[in-house]
Amino acid sequence: MVKIERGDYLILLATALLLPWLYFTLWGDQRAGEYARVLVGAEQQALVSLHQPQTLEIVGELGVSVLEVLSGKIRFIESACQGKQCVHSGWIGEGGEVVSCLPNRVSIAVLGGEQRFDAINF
Amino acid sequence: MNELGSRQITTQPSDHRIAWWAALAISIHIIESALPSPIPGIKPGLANVIVIAVLLLYGWRDAVWVALLRVLVGSLLIGTFLTPTFMLSLAGASASMLALGLAYYASRCLPSWGVGPLGYSVLAAQAHMLGQFAAAYLVLIPHPALFKLLPLLMTAALVFGVISGMIAAAMIDKVRKRTDGGTSG
Repeated sequence: MVKIERGDYLILLATALLLPWLYFTLWGDQRAGEYARVLVGAEQQALVSLHQPQTLEIVGELGVSVLEVLSGKIRFIESACQGKQCVHSGWIGEGGEVVSCLPNRVSIAVLGGEQRFDAINF
Repeated sequence: MNELGSRQITTQPSDHRIAWWAALAISIHIIESALPSPIPGIKPGLANVIVIAVLLLYGWRDAVWVALLRVLVGSLLIGTFLTPTFMLSLAGASASMLALGLAYYASRCLPSWGVGPLGYSVLAAQAHMLGQFAAAYLVLIPHPALFKLLPLLMTAALVFGVISGMIAAAMIDKVRKRTDGGTSG
């Protein structure tokens, strides 16, 4: 059998670390966003990191919208509107994703990550 | 002797040695080039076995000679001299010889960190692939999508590196036994 020396182990170890890292960085999901921008109308109210769990209260046209940030995602928990479409939209976390509460004029956009679309029109 | 102004070039025993080993590497290279490959860039690279054996038997300088002669003469015989294939091959061989040189002299300075055929072979295969990939990306296809291939290529390099390392180890054993273990230098 092949005699394996200390330097061999070092080279094999380096390779064993390099390969998973390559798979992870080059094949992994690169769409995850980093930040969320919260607007009321056209005014920026907050820019929050998605990696810091927190609850935000944003005052809009009709009242308060409550947002929750947890493990890389953000959602509306509660909003002062009637339809609650924003709440039912659920979590967003990929770059370029948007959720808004139109009656209350509050919108969230995820920034960072690989964008799936070049532009979105409504 | 020199009446006609001709110069006589004398050959050293090391020249003959390098020529023989290079001839062996070139033959393997040419036989291997006839084999089809699933993905461009993936090849067993068995000529590397020779380079690793020469590195361990005679040192880094001889190994560089054999590796570069293999790329040059191999491409002339196959007909790919100065084509993109040749560029990739040259970039890979240069990168792998650089990495081998660093490892070789580092392990000589630190005797407790000896490296054997397996380590050298894996290192050479990985460096060869990286050099070849860098050349392909910089010169041929500068598109980020190329990086999606890199993990696969490096995995193949590891597998073939381990296989060539084992072959090289067996070969070095045989050569050392035949020459009574006393030809290094």
